[in-house]
Amino acid sequence: MQDLDERLLHGGLAAGALHEIAPVRAEDMPAALGFAAACLARGARRSPSLLIFPAGYVRAFGGPYAHGLHGLGLDPGSLVVFRAESHKAALWAAEEALRSRSLAFVLAILTGGLDLKASRRLHLAASSSETFLMVLTPAHAEPAGAALSRWRIGPAPSERDRFGAFARFRWEVTLERSRNGRTGSWILEWDHVAYRFRLAGTLADHASPPGPGLGGPGLRRAG
Amino acid sequence: MPVDGGAPLVLSAVASGGPRISALNAAAEAAGLAVGSRLADARARVGNLQIRPADPPADAAALSRLALWCTRYTPTVAPWGEAEGADGLFLDVTGATHLFGSEAALLADLAARLDGFGLPARLALAGTPGAAWALARFGDGPTVTPTGAEAEALRLLPVEALRLPDPVCARLRRLGFRRVDDVMGQPRAPFTTRFGDILMRRLDQALGRAPEAVVPVAPPPAYRAARQLLEPIVTEEAVVAVAGRLMADLVASLTRDEVGARALALRLHRVDGAVASVEIGLAAPTRSPAHVERLMRLKLESLQGGLDAGHGFEALQLHVLAAERMTARQLALSPTPEEETPQALAALIDGLRQRFGTGSVRHLRARESHLPERAVSALPDGGGLPGSRPESWSSGETSLLRPPLLLAPAEPIEAVAADPDGSPLRFRWRGHLHHVAHAQGPERIAPEWWRQNARDPARDYYVVEDRTGRRFWMYCEDPSGRDPAGARWFVHGLFA
Repeated sequence: MQDLDERLLHGGLAAGALHEIAPVRAEDMPAALGFAAACLARGARRSPSLLIFPAGYVRAFGGPYAHGLHGLGLDPGSLVVFRAESHKAALWAAEEALRSRSLAFVLAILTGGLDLKASRRLHLAASSSETFLMVLTPAHAEPAGAALSRWRIGPAPSERDRFGAFARFRWEVTLERSRNGRTGSWILEWDHVAYRFRLAGTLADHASPPGPGLGGPGLRRAG
Repeated sequence: MPVDGGAPLVLSAVASGGPRISALNAAAEAAGLAVGSRLADARARVGNLQIRPADPPADAAALSRLALWCTRYTPTVAPWGEAEGADGLFLDVTGATHLFGSEAALLADLAARLDGFGLPARLALAGTPGAAWALARFGDGPTVTPTGAEAEALRLLPVEALRLPDPVCARLRRLGFRRVDDVMGQPRAPFTTRFGDILMRRLDQALGRAPEAVVPVAPPPAYRAARQLLEPIVTEEAVVAVAGRLMADLVASLTRDEVGARALALRLHRVDGAVASVEIGLAAPTRSPAHVERLMRLKLESLQGGLDAGHGFEALQLHVLAAERMTARQLALSPTPEEETPQALAALIDGLRQRFGTGSVRHLRARESHLPERAVSALPDGGGLPGSRPESWSSGETSLLRPPLLLAPAEPIEAVAADPDGSPLRFRWRGHLHHVAHAQGPERIAPEWWRQNARDPARDYYVVEDRTGRRFWMYCEDPSGRDPAGARWFVHGLFA
């Protein structure tokens, strides 16, 4: 997470902490999952990672598809997928996974929000194991109290190349909470070849000073 | 109505010419009844006769339960003559008697326990299955016949003791051969001519001159540890602790063979004779008693309604159902995290599987297939740990056009295309109308000609973005229009 980490958040999206992602609307789940998967690819492309996927979401949004995850830069071979039959099972699995200290990244898609107690437990487990924990909660869930950062993701029209073909997918990314209190909204695109996010446009940037602060290697204004 | 075991009792079976007696107890036998006689005659002879219908499937089920129970003595337990209604069990106790001190002690223990169940069993222990069969049925009382003494022990028994079909016995008796020793010393060739090879084969098998294979109820495990407990245990905690100790018993032999357990079964023998089995599978071979204890605890917690201990478990066995090569690691003084990670991951996967079922944890694997829904297999057993084998994923450029979420099955939609074989302009999916901002395609994916569904229509796939930026993977079936009903559209996946 070098780019976002240093340029946007000054240490916000860090390992050993709980981060929360939520879609703008319920139907934006795929966009939020894509953003989370890109974060995962950015942070732990080859290390073993766990994806906790609710059984109930398979019908609504489909099941995780390895070739598509690969397209986002993930190595599906290093991914373990746990199919959670309930919210409780998902939480149990996430905590077990963190305590096992065997994973670089745990991405838990949850069918409900995290109450303060559950979010504190998970945050503690993540920090004691130095594992990156990202939870994807439903659009209308209460924000997780102990999360270090909270992101809201919606889709944005893709970038297209000169021939009109899709070049990069883009997301409307809102940082609702961060460690240093800065928030903002951006259009981000994911470069699945270089494994980095790029800033495609700023909607409302409260986090960084305008101008040169957003430039620099790995993060350039596109479009 | 309860059955009075002391009074005459028969089981009736439907036969030609009315119901006949298929089994009877000692009191009925004393009253002069016999297997095969007509039920009407029996009723006339015995006033207070108790009659119950015979239930062969229940008999067979009870016998196999008993066979499972008998595995407390040895893993090799086989029911006799399953085809014609099994009525006995064969236990191969070779190498198992030391747990009881001697063969006679084992036999006495078995007799006492069966008697405790109310099962009047006839027991015999001999060097060959055939001799044991004969002595159990026609000998007097539980006997132990040393190897080599079979001929002497069988000599005076009737020819029926040789496990022969009824017609063969009847003909032998007609010809004056009544006892085994009448047949034993005779020239072989005339007997074989007259009775087929069954007579001499059975004789040779009983005397240990010809081999006889028995088919056990369950294949004996390669590694097995067993404990008979002095006091029955009832708590989950105690069961887990014994499982750990049994695993510790196995460590030496597993280490010697450089293997670890991939699948384990814990057999729990209840005081009342029921046998429960708890099986656990592992993501990676293990020899760790602590790991087995933890998995056993998770498995027991996940059992619906828990494990019914009844009055307690008095014997436990741990079977290694599948073992896999596992080389001994150098024991580092301070193992690095890199070395520990695969084991910790295997432990995590095992734990999740014991609690939520084997299918709950999957690894994604690429497969050679044109069809998107077949191009990935989610392996429940995984064949190891993630990252343990190289994968052939398509190159990054083309895989950008594959969605991370695939709907199964693809959902039919109403779509309006630019022209009959053009890209979609708008479509209705789950009740919502989407206006297409951009569609990229078609990418034609033909069915695999080597598969049965080769006649399925081809699909033209499009990556479609609607005006809100939501991205879909959809296809048009039969775009060439072979089907007069026209092209049908489906949403197959959702892009990030």
